[in-house]
Amino acid sequence: MRPLDWIVMFGWLAFIVSIGLWRGRGSGTTRKYMLAGKTMPWYAMGLSIIATQASAITFISTTGQAYVDGMRFVQFYFGLPIAMVILSATAVPIFHRADVYTAYEYLEKRFDAKTRSLVSAIFLIQRGLAAGLALYAPAVALSVILGWPDRVTTVIMGVLVMVYTSWGGIKAVTWADVYQMGLITAALVLAFGMAVYLLPHGVSFGDALSLAGVMGRLDAVTTKFDLNDRYNIWSGLIGGAFLALAYFGCDQSQVQRYLTGRSIAQSRLSLLFTAVAKIPMQFFILFIGAMVFVFFVFERPPLLFHPVEQANIASRAGYAQVEQSYDAAFARRRDAAEAYLAARHNGAETGPAANRYRNAQHDLDVAHAAGERLVSRDFNDTNFIFLSFVTRYLPAGVVGLIIAVIFSAAMSSTSGEINSLATVSVIDIYRRHFRPDASDRHYVMASRVATILWGCFAVGFANFGRDFGALIEAVNMVGSLFYGGLLGVFVLAFFCKRVGANGAFYGVLAGEAAIFAANRLTHIGFLWYNVIGCVVVVAVGVVVSMWNRPASMT
Amino acid sequence: MPDERPPFLGTWPRVYAAVLAYVAVLIFLFWLFARAFTG
Repeated sequence: MRPLDWIVMFGWLAFIVSIGLWRGRGSGTTRKYMLAGKTMPWYAMGLSIIATQASAITFISTTGQAYVDGMRFVQFYFGLPIAMVILSATAVPIFHRADVYTAYEYLEKRFDAKTRSLVSAIFLIQRGLAAGLALYAPAVALSVILGWPDRVTTVIMGVLVMVYTSWGGIKAVTWADVYQMGLITAALVLAFGMAVYLLPHGVSFGDALSLAGVMGRLDAVTTKFDLNDRYNIWSGLIGGAFLALAYFGCDQSQVQRYLTGRSIAQSRLSLLFTAVAKIPMQFFILFIGAMVFVFFVFERPPLLFHPVEQANIASRAGYAQVEQSYDAAFARRRDAAEAYLAARHNGAETGPAANRYRNAQHDLDVAHAAGERLVSRDFNDTNFIFLSFVTRYLPAGVVGLIIAVIFSAAMSSTSGEINSLATVSVIDIYRRHFRPDASDRHYVMASRVATILWGCFAVGFANFGRDFGALIEAVNMVGSLFYGGLLGVFVLAFFCKRVGANGAFYGVLAGEAAIFAANRLTHIGFLWYNVIGCVVVVAVGVVVSMWNRPASMT
Repeated sequence: MPDERPPFLGTWPRVYAAVLAYVAVLIFLFWLFARAFTG
């Protein structure tokens, strides 16, 4: 980091906190603090929804996934637009007309208090854990770049977010997200431009696409059905749709965003805007990872992208031999790539050179895996690939901008999460069970205190982030353990009019048991947990209600 | 709360259909894109 990078990074952080404080002024009632007085336009809600979902993990880990595994991860988002259409037609008008602060408040209107409390508790556990992981990602970034301890970074991040979120509530969160999405978009375009610009002289953009494509890095669609494969078109369309239905329809961090709309139409448009924008955005982020891969075909990548672990293993027994193998494999891959491009330019047969190129990549992967094994702890280098590229090859100012983006992404996710956690804590727990008759001002103050407490919890939990593997999968995994149950109970609420409170309550318990059993006892891809959980909740809910039908229906 | 008409395409079902058609086209384009450069 050079002086200009520091100026850009801290300048942006100061700007975002100022925007949050300024835009969040006048949030003195619960309706304004939690629902922005229902005044938000569709574009602000839409950008805020995308910003909340696109955490720092998205930039750090997704680009790395494209580097090592290609663009298959984009399939994860194929079901999202389907979910948005379903939610626009069902959940949005139902929640708006119920005039609720939280999605779980609606469950008491439809079922009973125990179902509302159970689902609120599931949300608080799941989203609380996710908030900690979302904060940990930029700590990873800065520990690599600055040599700061993770703990210092998470505290700084957490305090900044707590300042403007506790002051301005949902209005501060939403408007800060709008500006953060602007920066994120600009930085993504810049990072992509730099990755292409830094390709060696004589290697065109078309050549780069060929080199990435031959190695399978541009494969975005896998049509083979395999329950154990995490990312294929079927898991994306079906499992991804269920996950998105649960996330955007039952997770207060998202529901609260479109509850702030000034009309049903504005809320619907915000979800449909997300449906249209999200897949191209993810594709573009993955595409940056593919271009970084091509860049490193010609520029020798470090044996390990994590600079601290790279330095640590240099003194280990066997390192010299591993590095020698790595150097030889890199030289073979570069030579094969040049031969492949020469054949391509001359219109000659490219098959033999392509095979040499693939074989050399295999050797390079083997050497890299041997390097990873030299690290004494469980270690995943994927999360450090993009950061290594940014800090080693991008010019002053741009590095600061991209680090600011990683901060921004983490802050937008965390602010939305702790804001929704505070809202559920106050509305569904505190007001419902402990202080039902306090003044409106009291609940605003309670929300501010709850925001700070959840922020502190997220900072504390973030310190356990290093125990997880690829971060993005960890976050999605945490969600998938709980979302199937949440989705199931809302399906019962919206579509199964004859199912009563007991059916919903025991259905959720059974659904969660089924998900945890699938997680512990099978190798089924985690995207399918949402389907399993939802189906079990609905099935058990219907059966229990038939068996134990309410008096009014018998 | 009243339900307003969408700002384009006249009805909400038409807007939903347009979004789903867009996704289908997008997936097809991704598939074509990967095939074009697989080599």
